[in-house]
This record gives sequence, structure tokens and C-alpha cells, in this order.
Amino acid sequence: MPASHSVAVLLDDALLTLNRAVGVLRRRNVPIERLALRPTATAGVSQLTFILKADAATADRVAQQFHKIVGVRDVVLAATEESTREVQS
Amino acid sequence: MTETLTGAQILCRTLLESGVDVIFGYPGGAIMPFYHALGDHPRLRHILVRHEQAAAHAADGYARASGRPGVCVATSGPGATNLVTGLATAHMDSSPVVAITGQVPRSMIGRDAFQETDIVGITLPITKQNYLVQDVTELAGVVREALAVAQEGRPGPVLIDVPKDVQNQKTPYTPGAGGVSLRDKKTQSLRETPPARGVASSPDEGVREAARLIAAAERPLLMVGHGVIIGNAYTEVRMLAEKTGIPVITTLLGISAFPDGHPLFLGMPGMHGEVRVNRAIQHADLIVGIGLRFDDRVTGNTAGFAPRARIIHIDLDRAEIGKNVPVTLGIVGDARDVTRRLAAAVQARTCDRWLAEIRDFTRPRAAAFRGDLAPETILASLYQATEGRCTIVTDVGQHQMWVAKLYPYREPNSHITSGGLGTMGFAVPAAMGVHLARPGETVWAISGDGGFQMNMAEIATMVQERLPVKMAIFNNGYLGMVRQWQQFFHGKRYSCTPIWSPDYVKLAEAYGIPGWRVQQAAELPDVVAQANDHAGPALVEFVIEQEANVYPMIPPGGSLSEPIETAPAGAGD
Repeated sequence: MPASHSVAVLLDDALLTLNRAVGVLRRRNVPIERLALRPTATAGVSQLTFILKADAATADRVAQQFHKIVGVRDVVLAATEESTREVQS
Repeated sequence: MTETLTGAQILCRTLLESGVDVIFGYPGGAIMPFYHALGDHPRLRHILVRHEQAAAHAADGYARASGRPGVCVATSGPGATNLVTGLATAHMDSSPVVAITGQVPRSMIGRDAFQETDIVGITLPITKQNYLVQDVTELAGVVREALAVAQEGRPGPVLIDVPKDVQNQKTPYTPGAGGVSLRDKKTQSLRETPPARGVASSPDEGVREAARLIAAAERPLLMVGHGVIIGNAYTEVRMLAEKTGIPVITTLLGISAFPDGHPLFLGMPGMHGEVRVNRAIQHADLIVGIGLRFDDRVTGNTAGFAPRARIIHIDLDRAEIGKNVPVTLGIVGDARDVTRRLAAAVQARTCDRWLAEIRDFTRPRAAAFRGDLAPETILASLYQATEGRCTIVTDVGQHQMWVAKLYPYREPNSHITSGGLGTMGFAVPAAMGVHLARPGETVWAISGDGGFQMNMAEIATMVQERLPVKMAIFNNGYLGMVRQWQQFFHGKRYSCTPIWSPDYVKLAEAYGIPGWRVQQAAELPDVVAQANDHAGPALVEFVIEQEANVYPMIPPGGSLSEPIETAPAGAGD
């Protein structure tokens, strides 16, 4: 059973950027356990948090892909225990 | 000076100001305001293609040959969807193509209007970035940003969808003002993310470690890809190779990044790589990969790929490192910059014993072709006629592999092909773009009879727009590569691979260009020279052996250690 990993993605608050971020997982068929979007302290920047059912290597590879999206500012990968930790912005 | 302009005028002006001087396109309802404005901007040359797919490939060819963005334009709906294959091709091969599409007016979006399609949604996974312009005030900034995004870092295609009413909207316009907000965004990045596993924390540290690994290796290899061509790192790669004596392998898209005649040049690896190249990989204890993806056509089954080797992977795109093969050391950085630093940091050495070992891997090439019009004879004749000074654009299939293996490339970036997506029909339109990027040079588009027929309508574009592309067709009457797989892996059942061709000489005549059919090697020098020297577009059909195969071949999913060198038993040959 693959472990759960959380990936927090800080990105521009724009539908297309959000769509691209979700597309990274959809394209690679990585199942999403939970998904949350919330505003951050920085205007125009949202935090998208995925809880993924994936092994560490897959989670790592996926996290690297988020960096390629124009409008993604930061990506933080963590084991699920830490998934509630919020990215300080 | 600020003027009030329409969106359509702003499109033309921002393209011109950004240095775009040629665009490839096809008009239609939703892009008509742009075409209306184009008439007032004669410096923006428009090439009218016969199908939007060709516009995207031509823009791609232009981009690869020039290193600058190639721009294509289409209308909404079918015009936009016809660009898709071209954008996917550019995406796989990291080519800076910018597509501008018309869209139905904003008030109609989402109502399934005539010729409406969600092209932004359709192209999300095959573009680096795309935009639906919601207001004319954003337009100039979006165009400037799109051109910058396409080129910056690892290049890739970008699409801008502009609703028709936005093209007609007016707004004050100041040349050069606004847009390119990328850098602002980057500086706002909240903090540095820790690198992925195996990736050096900084290029400096990576280079030091790489130099140590190179010094300790007994059987090192350099494997260079498209990144070396995109990053213009030819000199640096050569410096590194010559200082260390490490033999050099070039991937399909890395061909021409290292001179073919160089004593350290080994050739192409992978599915159709020479036996000695793949054996060198399987025996290597260190592979230094620069600007490549280690894709499955290069590695075969990754479980058996380079079993003795540590891998150093240098790439601009951090997501590539460790994606396909596990690496000992990853260095994220520009190929030119990192290779230059690495060449300075390594100790001078030689690899003479290793080179001798690789020489012993060489097998005498079995006579692969019957008859005297063999692909290598044709390519030798082409080399002779052009004196090696031309750009060759290939399509996809057997001819592509023959050209990759047999044509001796000398000039950097003189080989252009669809690698990652493997797009049949690419060569003819892409060659038009290559010509416009390099108007003083000769361009040959080489296709099979299958791929040629996919986009041969573009001969009309060449005639109308005076694009003197030379077209070669390797005609074997089959979809040759698929037929080869059927022979090897499907019990020789040639299902749907025999393909009829028109009379290409008459076809050429119908378009008003010279055409030749070559069936004997004796005819080659004269015909190839005539076609090469002709001032306009010209076409030569080479009638080759029907069931010629590309050898050696690693079966799909197989190991590089197990090449097929003759037709399998029962498959005949």
C-alpha cells in the first residue's frame, strides 16, 4: 500500500494555473486523497494542498513537475504527518 | 509615444517589436480582425500554409533553426485544433513555438458557438503556458510574456487565444511597455525548495563532484542531447571531450551537436543505435548526460540500461533528473555554463584503453540492402552534392533512422527532426520554416512515402511563397517502420502497411516544380546535383528496396545488450 504524501503548492490565484497544477496529477494518474485550496497572506497567491496516495519516489517526481508551471512559486513535499503544516508565507 | 490601437493592431505591433518577422498561418472567421490589421504591417511576413498543422510545424522548424520563437496563427475551432499535433511536437522537443488563435467573442464563449472550441483546455498538457485574453489591456503584456516564456529556460510552446471582440477592442498602446512579469514573479518566490534526491545543492558543488567522478572512471561516456544544441554548448562539449578523451554519443536530437568525423565521436544510442554504441553504454562505468531525457528509445528497458554505470545528469529542467533513470549526481543548470565549468574543473586525461575496447565492439555491418539504390548511397550522393553544407529535416520512420545513422553531419544544428512525438508529416512543413530562418542555406526535407503524403499539400505553399525547399522521398511502397515491426514481431502480417503513391514526377509537374524519379544509383549524382542547384523548390523520389530494414534494432522494451541484427527466424528478409 503506497504511503500518503502531501504536496503544498503555492501558486498564482488564477484558474488556468490551478488547472495546470491538477493536470500534473491527472496526466500521471496519481490518485488524490484530499485536495484543499485556500488563500495565503500574500494577495493573489493561493495554497493548493494535495494529499497523494503514492510512494515517495512518485511523490518526489510529481513535486518536481509542479515547478515547471508558470505561476507556481513554491512546492513543499512532506510525509502525511506533516501535511497539516502550513507553508509560511 | 502612446497611441490608441485595436487588439489586432497591438498583436501585429508587439510581434514586430519583439523581433518577429515571419508568421505562418491560415485565416478564418474569428481571426479576421488580425488579418485585417496585418495588411498595414508589411514587415510582418505571412506565409499562407495549406493546413494549420503545417503552420505549427513550420513555426517549429523556424524556431529550431533560429533559436528564436516561431509564430503560427489560426482561427478558432478547427483552425485551432489543427495546430494541436504541431504544438505537441514542439512540446516534446522543447521548441519555442508561439501560437495565436482567434476565439469566438467573449459573450459567446461557453455557448458552443459556431467554430468555438476550448483550445486553451485542449492544449494545457502540450504547452508550457497558455492564455485566454480577457481584455485588450492585457494583450500586449501577454504577447511579450508569451514570447519570453517560450524561449526562457527549457523552451516550449505557448498559446494565446484571443476572442474576436478583444481583437476589435481599442486601448492606449505604448511600445515596449508592460508585460514580461515572469521575473517579478520569480523574485517573489518565497524561498528555495530543497533539491530532489541526488541533485547537487549548487552547480559549483555538482561540478566538483562530477570532476571527481570523471577522474575516477575507467570507462566514461559523454551522452549529449538536444539541450546542447538549444544551449549552444558545442564548443564546451568538445573542450570537455578533448580534455578528458571521453568518447561522445549523440542522441537523435543531439545529432550534429558534435562533429561526426571527430575521433571521439561514437554515434547514436538506443533502439537503432550501432551495436558498438549500445555495448559501450552497457560496459561504461560512468555516463555524463548533458541536455537529454534518457527517454525509452535511448535506454530500452531501464532495468537493464547501463548496469555498471554511475550517471551524472546535467539538465536545465530539474524535473528531468531522476525521472527516467536513477542518477548518482544531478546538476541543474544551463548546458553551456555547466559544461564550461566542468571542462575547466576536470583533470586532463585520456581514455585510450577504453576507446580500443569500444573499437573492438564494432561489428562489420552486414549488407542490409539489396539492389544498388541503398539509402547510404543516396545519402552519400546528397552529401557530395551539398558538400555537407545544408540543413536536413527528416520525417519519422526508417528513412529518419538511416539519415541519423548514415549522414555525416559536420555543422552544428544541421539536423532537424521530430524526436519525442515522432510526428509523421513533420519534415516538409518544418523545412519551410528552416528555410525562412536560414534563407541563404540549402534545406532538404527527407520523408518516406507515408509521411510525405501527410503534408504534401505544402508544395503549393512553397510555390506561392517562393520557398526553395528540396524534397526527397524514400519510396518503398510501405509504411516501412511499421512493416519492419510487423515482420519482426507480428509474424510478417503486413496489415495495412502497403501504401500507394501518386506519380510524384507528375505531382511535381502539377505544382510547376521540377521532379525526378531515381531508380538506379548511376542516376544519383546528376539528379541530386540538379535538384540541389535548382533555384526553387524541387522534388526527388528515390525508389528503394521495398523490404529494407533498419539494423540493428533493440526490440521495444528490450535491453540494449540484445540487438536484432538480422531478421528473426521465420520472418524472412
